[in-house]
Amino acid sequence: MKSWKHLFSGLVLALAASTASAHDQVPGEKQQHPILLKGGTLHTVTQGVMVNTDLLFSGGEIIAMGNQLTLPDNTEVIDIQGQHVYPGLIAMDTTLGLNEIEAVRATRDSEEVGAIHPEVTAHVAFNADSEVIPTVRYNGVAYAQVVPQGQLVMGASSLMQLDGWNADDAIVRAKTGMHVQWPRTYVVDAWWEQRTPEQQREANAKALDTLKQVFVDAKAYYDAKQADQLNAVDVRWEAMLGLFDGSLPLYVHANDVRQLEQALDIAKEYGFQLVLVGAADAWRIKERLAKSQTPVIFEGLFGLPNHNDDGYDQAYRSAGELAAAGVNLALAYPGYWDTRNLAFGVGNAIAYGLNPDKALAMVTLKPAKLLGVGAQLGSLTVGKKASLIVSKGDIFDPLGQDLSAMFINGRKVTLQSRQTELYHKYQKRPE
Amino acid sequence: MNSRASIGAVCGVILALVSSPSKADQTARVNGITDNTPSFVAFQNATIVMQPGQTVEHATLVIRNGLVEAVQRNNQAPQGARIIDATGFTIYPGFIDAYSDYGISKAVKPEHTDDTPLYNNHREGGNAANDAIHAQQQWFSEFETQPEQAKQYIEQGFTSVQTARQDGIFQGQAVTVSLANNIANDVIYRANSRQFGSFDKGSSRQQYPSSLMGSIALIRQTLSDADWYRQAQGKQYYDAAVEFNAALKALVDIDKQGMIFRVNDEKSLLRADKLFDQFGVPVSYVASGYEYDRIDAVQATNAALIVPLNFPAAPDVDGRYRAIDVDLAKLRHWERAPSNPAVIANAGMVFAFTLTGLEKPEQFWHNLRRAMPYGLSEKQALAALTTVPAKLAGIDDKAGKLVPGYKADFVISRGDIFQQGEIYSVWLQGQEHVIKSMDAVDFAGHYQWPWGSDQTAELTLKTSPSAELSLTINGEKWRTDKLQVQDQQTTWVAFAPNEQHDAWRLALLPDSKHQFTLELIDPQGQRQHVIASRKPLANEEPEQQPSKPTFVSKLTYPNRAFGLPQLPPRQNVVIRHATVWTATADGVLKDVDVYVENGRFSKIGKALSVPAGTQEIDAAGLHLTPGIIDEHSHIAIDGGVNEGSEAITSEVRIGDVVNPDDPHIYYSLAGGTTTAQLLHGSANPIGGQAQVIKLRWGATAEQMKFDAAPPSIKFALGENVKQSNWGDDYTVRYPQTRLGVETIMRDGFQQAIEYQQRKVEYQQLSSAERRKTAPPRPDQRLEALLDILNSKMFIHSHSYVASEILMLMNLAEEFGFRVNTFTHILEGYKVADEMAKHGASGSTFADWWAYKFEVYDAIPQNACLMQQRGVLTSINSDSEDLQRRLNTEAAKSVRYCGMSEHDALKMITINPAKQLHIDEHVGSIEVGKDADFVLWNHHPLSAYAQAQQTWINGRKYFDRDIDKQRQQQVAAEKNALIQKLLATPLEQRAGAEHGYKEAQPLWRCETEHDVWLHQAQHNQLMGAH
Repeated sequence: MKSWKHLFSGLVLALAASTASAHDQVPGEKQQHPILLKGGTLHTVTQGVMVNTDLLFSGGEIIAMGNQLTLPDNTEVIDIQGQHVYPGLIAMDTTLGLNEIEAVRATRDSEEVGAIHPEVTAHVAFNADSEVIPTVRYNGVAYAQVVPQGQLVMGASSLMQLDGWNADDAIVRAKTGMHVQWPRTYVVDAWWEQRTPEQQREANAKALDTLKQVFVDAKAYYDAKQADQLNAVDVRWEAMLGLFDGSLPLYVHANDVRQLEQALDIAKEYGFQLVLVGAADAWRIKERLAKSQTPVIFEGLFGLPNHNDDGYDQAYRSAGELAAAGVNLALAYPGYWDTRNLAFGVGNAIAYGLNPDKALAMVTLKPAKLLGVGAQLGSLTVGKKASLIVSKGDIFDPLGQDLSAMFINGRKVTLQSRQTELYHKYQKRPE
Repeated sequence: MNSRASIGAVCGVILALVSSPSKADQTARVNGITDNTPSFVAFQNATIVMQPGQTVEHATLVIRNGLVEAVQRNNQAPQGARIIDATGFTIYPGFIDAYSDYGISKAVKPEHTDDTPLYNNHREGGNAANDAIHAQQQWFSEFETQPEQAKQYIEQGFTSVQTARQDGIFQGQAVTVSLANNIANDVIYRANSRQFGSFDKGSSRQQYPSSLMGSIALIRQTLSDADWYRQAQGKQYYDAAVEFNAALKALVDIDKQGMIFRVNDEKSLLRADKLFDQFGVPVSYVASGYEYDRIDAVQATNAALIVPLNFPAAPDVDGRYRAIDVDLAKLRHWERAPSNPAVIANAGMVFAFTLTGLEKPEQFWHNLRRAMPYGLSEKQALAALTTVPAKLAGIDDKAGKLVPGYKADFVISRGDIFQQGEIYSVWLQGQEHVIKSMDAVDFAGHYQWPWGSDQTAELTLKTSPSAELSLTINGEKWRTDKLQVQDQQTTWVAFAPNEQHDAWRLALLPDSKHQFTLELIDPQGQRQHVIASRKPLANEEPEQQPSKPTFVSKLTYPNRAFGLPQLPPRQNVVIRHATVWTATADGVLKDVDVYVENGRFSKIGKALSVPAGTQEIDAAGLHLTPGIIDEHSHIAIDGGVNEGSEAITSEVRIGDVVNPDDPHIYYSLAGGTTTAQLLHGSANPIGGQAQVIKLRWGATAEQMKFDAAPPSIKFALGENVKQSNWGDDYTVRYPQTRLGVETIMRDGFQQAIEYQQRKVEYQQLSSAERRKTAPPRPDQRLEALLDILNSKMFIHSHSYVASEILMLMNLAEEFGFRVNTFTHILEGYKVADEMAKHGASGSTFADWWAYKFEVYDAIPQNACLMQQRGVLTSINSDSEDLQRRLNTEAAKSVRYCGMSEHDALKMITINPAKQLHIDEHVGSIEVGKDADFVLWNHHPLSAYAQAQQTWINGRKYFDRDIDKQRQQQVAAEKNALIQKLLATPLEQRAGAEHGYKEAQPLWRCETEHDVWLHQAQHNQLMGAH
């Protein structure tokens, strides 16, 4: 029959006790028995908010949501009355696991030399033991797209789950997209810019030509390969083949409206699956973006005005304006340690007009779909992975967010980190 | 030396040697034939402008031996004078440019032999200890006549200039010279004129100063040193005889020399004026063209201005999106720059014009004529070219007027030079520099002559702005070619309609003023002459006084998007039914009224009765908190946040470089922040003095300062000051370890103590001993350290790791003072007990970490742990971004470690107020305190909170509803300016390419770059001097 193993909601304490002595955090064990989260408010993403509803998962997958569920033997019941369940957040455009200490060169693995290195792939250098990762989980981020950095063609990103033993263990999907830092289109009058506007425009045009040539060359390689006419392998163009057969999206990192338009035009010319990242000026062309349904990952959640004459709140309200216009929108907070502020950034967008009912999808299901894992992740749906977080309050508000649990594929993930350990250590210092 | 100029000079010498008899000068022998051509000339029938406001018509100007002898109102020329008929000409006194580098070679930047920073300069000849100071230089000794360079001035009507090498901070004494092509001995009008200066260290490679505030501090110390040197020269100092110092010696009488000081914008003009006023140095400023931005403040300096006419080129707004790169401020300046001279004139200021800043000297008259319709009178303009610069250049006893005994320096123009007049001839020291022959015939007109037996030829000839002609014979237009208008003839070639080969050569030759002979050479080569009658050209565009131009742009404070038309008024107002977060022991009060009167909170309570007619705000559903206070900000700073050159720079002051135009002031107001401590950066162990401001958007820099705040200063520890992340060139400055950080501070304090002792000892000397003994040299750097030792100036120390925090507290205790606040203090949680015991407070980031090694142990629970252990704790921004949202930064302590919400709010209000020692005035909602407050639409720490209104001292500086309107107004005004610009013909869009202010960087704690070095590169790029 049913074996009720009733835990109190103080799950954090239990987990804390189990890991407090470890220097590093031990990845969660594979789910051993079914777990029922009882009485929580489920933010399902696809089926609205279900108040006081139970959620049952087993073997790493959600198997039922509702009340009066029939529980398998051996089900662990966790009472989360009054708490909220969300899908684990997915952070797009990060360098988690690639960078550890920004100012220490030896700990940076995000940016390869040269302007054109499509052949590099992010997960190769992913440090699953980065001390930064647990601190980001603490705020509800369960997955991260890890992206190589660079000046032009940056390389391929990978989707990682944030509780792995090593890079191979953490990888969810390799090569989620080819990333391009779009060449500058604007001219600036700033202290660091030593060139005249004309010189800047020339350099901008030249950089765009360089990028266009990359696409020409990669396409030539693709065509030759299709016809079995290659002389030899070129690892750069090999890495870009997927752009031309539609299997690899092109992520364009760009903010200025001219960059966005150029990217749209060129993507159309080649038939690329385009994703715009950054997109500070997207509000200026929201109708076009809505019409084309080009995915946009807006990053300026706390942005300063991109131009002197923009309103102080332009970046704050951009997400709301884009969503209201029907743009296919996801949200991100780029970086690595600071990516933990992703949920608060969404809160700010809500404060300035983003519909709160739609906001959650922009950091869960929308990213999951872009990453090709929409069928497994991104919502609380029966059959999907049990990758979810439990918070005592609204995760988008620092006054509410307070995680009591995180599960990735049904595995209990510790919310402890080097930071909580230091906190606990110094709490113990005698006065 | 400019190579073109030197070639010109060489040519001049060759000509003189080979072909010319020499004029006898007073000390050189003539080799060859002596030139004794008389220089006794009378200009008859002239309009003579003797000085601004005094014109005589139909008069004769008599000059002899280089001087004006007489202005004959009866138009009589003296016997024996060479007579020049000046009918139709106007004669003006020669123009004077009081700010020039004519005849002086340019500074040569020392070659970069290696990239190791240079901390001490090479000492020679009693020079100053800083390479940007060459006050002892007397530029007459380097002056050499440069005819080619002079031509650029002369062609605009200038006859003399005040000149020096424009390089460095104290640039040396200028020399005022004539532009005549004579040897230096003859053209020097005043050998020792004004001292030139600027804030820019110029070609100096020395590290110090690397910032605007460093330059200001260096000027302050140098003027103080000059004052000391006046008393100390020749006496015994405490450890040796007083040194010989040529630079200080040269500045001893700076109050009599006076200065000509060049500034980049009106803000620096105000800064310089405040600085020089303190030392009683009379200064005139080379203006920036932006004076109209804050003319009232500029006018209040009562200084004379030397005004450039480098109106900027129209920004490029063509194409689909280029207008995005051009902000409203730029468009406004494009429209208003030509009005700047008139604005200055109408403010009643004394001003002169200069060619400085013009990329092409020939733009001068074009631009001056553009400036006049804005309300500049001819008299004012002429004064700005003659009498005023004469005075500024110290030659008003000999130049600038056409009166007997003055130099025969003048300009002859056909017509009114301020209208359409054209300069024909410029006379310097009684010698003519011909630009255009005064005898030249004006050929413009309609001509007619008979053609064949019964036909008529008609010709229309225009000579300006360019020569054009149209020839019609018997109603048919002929094709013409090869038109040449010369002084005494005009020639061209003509072809009959549809004729390719048979060319007619034609020429107009004057018989008298109105009758001309037409010479024709027909296709067969036969020459004929006929009389051509001329009628004047009809004025197709009737000459009308241009009406005063109208502006599309607004003028706001600051003059950029979202500036205010004026400071918001102080209002008495009652806020009803608010949820009030007091930041006092009263906690959060629900449904309470707050009455603001005369800028202060006057009553707080339920259902307050207030005077009838008091403005009410219904704040039901709103939250009212104190204005947010930021302990650590770097916004609103001009010209560098770090004087990071030397390890100790306690003499520099952020208060000298407050930038009231920074839009982040407005953005921060929109996030509820009302007060900020602007801190020096963290590039050196003992940095500069801080400035607490209230974010009074629209005010001047001085008005923003919060005068109740006591002095404070930035210290810094760890990686930044030991230059860990500065690159491989920066490994020579002491200290390079945390060990040395302690000792350099210790050494600094020890020096300060000994300095104090010397002052005391000097006071105790008898008057006889004082006559032999030099007083201690006032040292601004050590004075600041003394203030710290005496607990009059409070330390805010950038710090991260436990060891360095303990170090500074131990050091302070050893020297008998306390560290006021540790800022950043990310490991404060490890030593919170020690901090509490010492009495140091902590101001930290909510959650920053991992950006460098010393922050690897940072934790977001730091604020909680410090607070729990009794440390007065605040959250700061150190960022123009976070300064807009400190409320949610404070909320992170609720999130990460369960701090109470009211305590979290205190971390951004009353706690930082206490750290800044301004808690008597601000930081909480209490009767009697400044009415600095924010109205929020939501719980003020929530992600969903939006500041609706932000008030400072009872004035509303931000209102979200007004902001919405303003956003639309900015867009509309910008569009109107773009429309105006696009409708402006291309040729009228030309102007100076670097005529706009350069954007200020976003300063961060660690932003360390040499602003002067950067400016030099920028100027070089833009082709400026």
